[in-house]
Amino acid sequence: MLKGHLDAIVLAALEAGPAHGYAIIETIKQRSAGTFDLPEGTVYPALHRLEQAGLLSSAWTTPPNGRRRRVYSLTKAGSAALGERRKAWSRFSQAVDTALEGGRA
Amino acid sequence: MSGAIDDYVASLRRELAFDPALAGRLASEVEDHLRDAAEADPAWPSPEAERRAVERFGLSREIAAQFAIDAVDRHARRTWITLAVTVVVTFIAMRLRVIWLDDDVLSPAPLIDRYAFIAALTVGVIAWFAFRRSLAALAICLGGLVASISAGIVRADLFANGAPVHVLLSAAGEVALVGVLSFHVIGLGRRLRRTAVLRRPGLEREGQ
Repeated sequence: MLKGHLDAIVLAALEAGPAHGYAIIETIKQRSAGTFDLPEGTVYPALHRLEQAGLLSSAWTTPPNGRRRRVYSLTKAGSAALGERRKAWSRFSQAVDTALEGGRA
Repeated sequence: MSGAIDDYVASLRRELAFDPALAGRLASEVEDHLRDAAEADPAWPSPEAERRAVERFGLSREIAAQFAIDAVDRHARRTWITLAVTVVVTFIAMRLRVIWLDDDVLSPAPLIDRYAFIAALTVGVIAWFAFRRSLAALAICLGGLVASISAGIVRADLFANGAPVHVLLSAAGEVALVGVLSFHVIGLGRRLRRTAVLRRPGLEREGQ
């Protein structure tokens, strides 16, 4: 089920600012308090797919005392897509909540 | 002696051999990721820290399979766009031939020209809604268009009859487009086969 929403979760992880793959995975783990226990490598096909779709851009950067890393950033289209996906998820989760709670009334 | 991270990166490169540019880019990126993960492990520096980082990352074959599936989707989209353009150009070329020749549609060549085109169009429309990744449907559309175009060229006997330039150009356009479409359909077939191999359950352990 999570895989269907992975793209939106990755977009949300980049909302605060550019980050590399490892940092994105760490953000997702922290935000979900360990609930999303996907293999870490799963994020790379999602990053590539989102970049191909123009929702992310990426560039190699080398910090002064560190390794060269590919850093991803949200594009304008990516920010808009994240907004749309949040709205869609909100509608969907409300509908599921209503359906599940309906049986208790 | 190479460590778990080096072995994993080499294995990922092998699995991604279908796209050398992607393999090169991803290998460096994944190696960085794994070294970060290993360094964050309490057991660092040790082979155990590397092994755990690799385990958390997932099987290289499964990662490669996800890239392969995305590549199939992109290739299928390109193929469908080419098919749509080919259908439009073939239709225009067919109408131009009909207007120029004004011939008997009961002879075999015009019938094949028309009905092979209609068959290709029908299969294409159904497949677009129901089987967008179907190689068989695309191959049937391609076959129908090849039959229609071949019959159209035979019917008009274009070069012998001294056809007008617009008829010749439209025929050249449909032949060129059906060539591009064949190239895409063959490429899609290759990508689908590679993806199927990567997703074969019995081979999962080889990727690690």
